[in-house]
Amino acid sequence: MTDKTFASEREEDGIQQKEQGRPPVDEMQTILIKKTMRSGQIIRYPGNVVVMGDVNPGAEIIAGGNIVVMGFLRGVAHAGAAGTDDKIVTAFRLRPTQLRIANHITRAPDEQPEAYPEYPELARIKNGVVVIDRYVPGDKQKA
Amino acid sequence: MGEVIVVTSGKGGVGKTTTTANIGTGLASLGKKVVLVDTDIGLRNLDVVMGLENRIVYDLIDVSDGNCRLKQALIKDKRFDDRLFLLPAAQTKDKNAISEQQMKDLCATLKEEFDYTIIDCPAGIEQGFKNAIAGAEKALVITTPEVSAVRDADRIIGLLEAAELPDPRLIINRLRPAMVKQGDMMDIDDMIDILAVSLLGVVPEDEKIVVSTNRGEPAVLDEMSLAGEAYRNISRRLTGEEVPLMNLDVNDGLMGRLRKLFGFSK
Repeated sequence: MTDKTFASEREEDGIQQKEQGRPPVDEMQTILIKKTMRSGQIIRYPGNVVVMGDVNPGAEIIAGGNIVVMGFLRGVAHAGAAGTDDKIVTAFRLRPTQLRIANHITRAPDEQPEAYPEYPELARIKNGVVVIDRYVPGDKQKA
Repeated sequence: MGEVIVVTSGKGGVGKTTTTANIGTGLASLGKKVVLVDTDIGLRNLDVVMGLENRIVYDLIDVSDGNCRLKQALIKDKRFDDRLFLLPAAQTKDKNAISEQQMKDLCATLKEEFDYTIIDCPAGIEQGFKNAIAGAEKALVITTPEVSAVRDADRIIGLLEAAELPDPRLIINRLRPAMVKQGDMMDIDDMIDILAVSLLGVVPEDEKIVVSTNRGEPAVLDEMSLAGEAYRNISRRLTGEEVPLMNLDVNDGLMGRLRKLFGFSK
């Protein structure tokens, strides 16, 4: 289900799993989650998190690095959780309940939009605010 | 060897007990041998919905504590000679009165004898839920077209996966086709999109359910009830039969109904 090569702290359904005796993880390392994350499930990981599936409302990803969701991101995502604001959150469909990058917190507008964008998007910090753009493959996505 | 199916939802009041009663009765009318187990200890309802409350002598906890034999606690539903039984919950104990292992043992015994063992799960995700799913092999998740119920269903599906009960099937209860059509209620696709599980059936909102619940006569037995028909279809699907989803379109009016009558409906 998850790549356990690296030290990681995974919290699922109230059970904290800590793996010890592994080399420390830095922001460059990546964990792959090959399932849909459902309400109540949390992933905390010091590096990057890639989800192959949806992240449903009530699910949470907290990553030291970047977050990539190959599906609908409807839950809460926190990239650069250690305070690094050059991290990004990108999803096939970006509809998060709340989006956090480093110490910036944004949420979806209260009124529902007429239509949601039907393309992948990318969130990052530009000039001190979180901005969301269309995801362009190969683009230099650094702020 | 029968199947052990748990009916669960997370949220309360979405129709777990009604569904358990109706599917159980539906399967018994199809000639299957069925036992319904109420695991909502302390808040038992299934006996009331089945109209069997006044016949309870022993209950689930009496069986697990060894105060009586399993056979003594099973209440026979006279409408179906020897095909439909109920194992009622205790009303004076709490959810910790039985253990997961005891539930597993009980389910293993019941499935020897019955084609279907259907477990009515309590609301919530605590011990009562864990007991209810302990002995189950399959799960039915009930939701209503409300954001809160769908959220809880999603949580439950996650917990079922963690408990190695994957691929639950979904029943959408209390759908109001007219409201969906106006865009005032979540539609079936919205719910399937989020929950990503296979759909077993859709039960429309039906006032007759209130009447049948109060009388203790499951709606499946009422030929005129729309919800009853939905539950009959769900029961048939559980036996492996392919039954198309009911047409819940409301457009109808007189012309539509006439067209349907003469077989011109889409």
